[in-house]
Amino acid sequence: MSKKTNNTEEPVILNIPDDEIWTYQVEGLAPPRINKPYRHFTLKKIIFALTIIVAVSVSCWFSVQTIQTDTFKYNSTENGYELTKFSNTGNITVLDIDFVSDIEYESDNPDVMSNFKIKKDTSKKVTSVGKYALNCDEKIKVITIGKDVTDIDPKAFYSCYALQRFDVDENNPNYCSVDGVLYTKDMKRIICHPCDHDAFLAEQFGFTQYDENGVPTEPDVNSKEYDRYVEQVLTFVVPSSVETIGELCFNYANIKNVYLPEGLKTVETLGFFKMTQLSSIYSYKGEAEVSRFESEEALGEVYVSLPDGLYFIGSDAFSYNQSLSYMYIPKSVTYIGHHAFWDTVYKQDNSLAGVTAINAEASAEAFEAVQTGNNWRPQYDYLLFKKSVDIIYNAKRGTE
Amino acid sequence: MRSLISELKTHWHQPAEGKYVPYKEYVDVVFAVGSNYAGSKVLEYITFLSSCYLIMYHYKLPYLTFSVISILNMPLGYISALMWWFVCDNLGFLPKKTERKLYAVYVGMMLFGISTILFDYSRLFDPSSPFITYLNGLEGMNATACFKTFGTHFLYTGWVGARNIFWRKKLLPKYGRYKYSLYCDVIPKCVMVILIGWLPVYNIPDVATRVWVANLLFATFNVFGFANNLETCTRSISPNLQERILVRSYPVKISHFFHTIVSIILPVIIGMLRYEWADINVYRYVIPITFIVLAIFTMFFAGRVKERIPQPPVEKKVQINFWDGMFGVLHNKYLLINKIVELIDSLGNGMLPFVTIIYFYTFRLSGLPYSLLVALISFAGTPPDLMSPYFLKRFSYKQIMIFYQVTRALGNALIAGAMWFCGDNINLCGTICVVVMFFMEMTKTVPTTAGHDMNVRIGDYQMYLSGERLENFSGVYGWFTGPVTSFVGLIIPVLLLRYGFNSNWDVLFIDDSRRNIIVIPLLVDVVGFLLMTIPYFFWDYDSKKQNMVMEVLKRRAEVTEKNALEAGETVSGSYKG
Repeated sequence: MSKKTNNTEEPVILNIPDDEIWTYQVEGLAPPRINKPYRHFTLKKIIFALTIIVAVSVSCWFSVQTIQTDTFKYNSTENGYELTKFSNTGNITVLDIDFVSDIEYESDNPDVMSNFKIKKDTSKKVTSVGKYALNCDEKIKVITIGKDVTDIDPKAFYSCYALQRFDVDENNPNYCSVDGVLYTKDMKRIICHPCDHDAFLAEQFGFTQYDENGVPTEPDVNSKEYDRYVEQVLTFVVPSSVETIGELCFNYANIKNVYLPEGLKTVETLGFFKMTQLSSIYSYKGEAEVSRFESEEALGEVYVSLPDGLYFIGSDAFSYNQSLSYMYIPKSVTYIGHHAFWDTVYKQDNSLAGVTAINAEASAEAFEAVQTGNNWRPQYDYLLFKKSVDIIYNAKRGTE
Repeated sequence: MRSLISELKTHWHQPAEGKYVPYKEYVDVVFAVGSNYAGSKVLEYITFLSSCYLIMYHYKLPYLTFSVISILNMPLGYISALMWWFVCDNLGFLPKKTERKLYAVYVGMMLFGISTILFDYSRLFDPSSPFITYLNGLEGMNATACFKTFGTHFLYTGWVGARNIFWRKKLLPKYGRYKYSLYCDVIPKCVMVILIGWLPVYNIPDVATRVWVANLLFATFNVFGFANNLETCTRSISPNLQERILVRSYPVKISHFFHTIVSIILPVIIGMLRYEWADINVYRYVIPITFIVLAIFTMFFAGRVKERIPQPPVEKKVQINFWDGMFGVLHNKYLLINKIVELIDSLGNGMLPFVTIIYFYTFRLSGLPYSLLVALISFAGTPPDLMSPYFLKRFSYKQIMIFYQVTRALGNALIAGAMWFCGDNINLCGTICVVVMFFMEMTKTVPTTAGHDMNVRIGDYQMYLSGERLENFSGVYGWFTGPVTSFVGLIIPVLLLRYGFNSNWDVLFIDDSRRNIIVIPLLVDVVGFLLMTIPYFFWDYDSKKQNMVMEVLKRRAEVTEKNALEAGETVSGSYKG
């Protein structure tokens, strides 16, 4: 066939007699088959049906196998086992990461909430927790880390919305927990602040109340106890030994005030991501071993915003925190990742709210040496486009 | 110019000899298809998939749960498909006895479905049995949710099936096979669009309950269709091949401008909301208002667009029995080629919409910049599309489709490369992606037009072979390929889960996770596109053959109607061409 004649409109005239309209065969095409019997019809039907049944059955089986998720998945490593995936049965609220485990159901117990137990094989030690081992779990409240777990991926416990606390075996050489928050043993890195840590603190300090649907509620903002609630539950003091806020560490945490030590050097990627209540960041010069807030006096000298000495702010480190209203970049900062303060400014009643300017301690010339990622400044809608907020150079640190 | 105006005036109401569509209908096509297409595109914002913003930001359902639900629905899907094909390909005109039996089955299904929603069937089983513990272990589900999801599919299938017979039979002779459903579905669809934004189902705290209730809500939403029916109708607007291509290339293309305007305005309005795409007001106000306005326009113009498939009167049409339908489509060589291509295309099933990810998570676009970029890229296809008649004359469909698959492969490979090697540099990576997407869009529209025409030709050829288009029985290929495609389609979701993608789309803010989530499925897709070139080497259905087929169809319609009238019978729904 010539390519140039592909769609030519040559008139076609076919003289088809009335009695051949259902049987007329066009040249080069198969003959029509209308209400005509097939040869070997029964045999063809059987072959067809069998083929279909086999194809469908085999493929269904494969598909079902693919979606079946074991509760625990492990990989064997040189030192022991790595927990690679935990898929909640829907009723597990406490997870021990120490030995290779499996679910065992009790046939005589009809209650689905309690008719299982987690069976551990104590001969197989879990030594590491892989990336996204727990991902978007909505049930786990407590994670216990065993003494042999020596390597936890920073993304191991991603978006565990119900997670209230970590407990770490005191003999673990690499990790520890303080007040339910996960740190490295030397307390230089804070690894994971549980998403629902405030629920744990609220329970501990006697603030927990429930509405008619059994959902926990916060004390009323105008109530007498609210200030105490903010101090004891919604305020977090990063211990003075901490030098690094780990990747994804505080994401979705329900914290209103955070106190950072002056020795802090690094805030990694998404370190303070989507903390919708976070309204104040303070830094302190004193010593603090625990994360509970007692009083500002106990923390020594306190000043607003990021601490002097901080040099690395990772990408999306503070993004989507619209309750923040002030940001001061000390001159020690040498790197700011892309979108570090993204969506922290917004329009309300035709005026800007949130982080409406970036206050930089350094001069404009000195700030040029800072390595910055794309769109690191907050941006707001401006004449149907987006505009970055201004940087105020040589800024003096604000007071509250 | 003068001769053009004279031509338009002369044939404004009456088409030229050898043609079938008056120019007035060209104008009607612009408005009818424009509003219908834009409306159906607006509805794409409401789907029971993880990529829907309502699911993404409000329901937050685990990613793998959608695969679990599709597998739960699979067995009934096979059985109900048999009845569906049989009804549809007989255009709803069935022997009385058969019709009653089908109604009985559909009503039974509905009653069972309702009972599963009202009662918890999982309680009939031992809660510690392997069956129930297996169901409890499924991602995002438990035994109760599984039974209710299963029952929902019964309710949905029964309801849709019964409506299908009722409305098809009533409306098809008057409105034709492609647009009749708009008339019976448009009002309930508008109501469901409003309800889906306002019912606070996403606030249900337990994820398994949220899954089955959302599934029920979306199933009810899907009972009523508002697809791009009028454009489908225009594909059969004329038995003249050249006229089909002209309608496709000009009025239909111009009609898409409506969608372009909507796709610019909508994100701008949404960008003004406090939480932009994550704002529930998108689904409470923006989408319903836009959709309802477009639906009103659609219904106003729908009656003015006609379908012109040469066919005998519906009272005298060929009755398709089950096995004729099955074997009929298996004998269609060109349909087989298309289905093999679809099978290979399933390699990309389960992939996230990478363009959306690039826009939202790499560039963080919203408001007007987002609209402009989307408009710029979608505009890229317009100039070549206006040249479609030339390209379709100059090159064979085989050449066009092979070229299309190769450009897809190349484009996806370039985007994957840009994301992998310079993903950190948003400006550079972004520029490469936008340029590549621009060229991919440019090279897409002519093959899309060719693809549509190939499908219409396949339908015409099937009508020549079997006496009916058997568009529904062609689904039997899915029986062979569907299970394989769903299995293949699960590979990417499992891979994505490994890279951290689940119910929380925020994982895409993490650079290395985003890179893997985009790049790995893109590479799988590249392989698919290259393999998809192979079946097209066997396509040899040219225009000469197609013209001869059309002559046969016209002759059949003419003789059948003549015989019926001579016998004094009343006839309806025929078209002689």
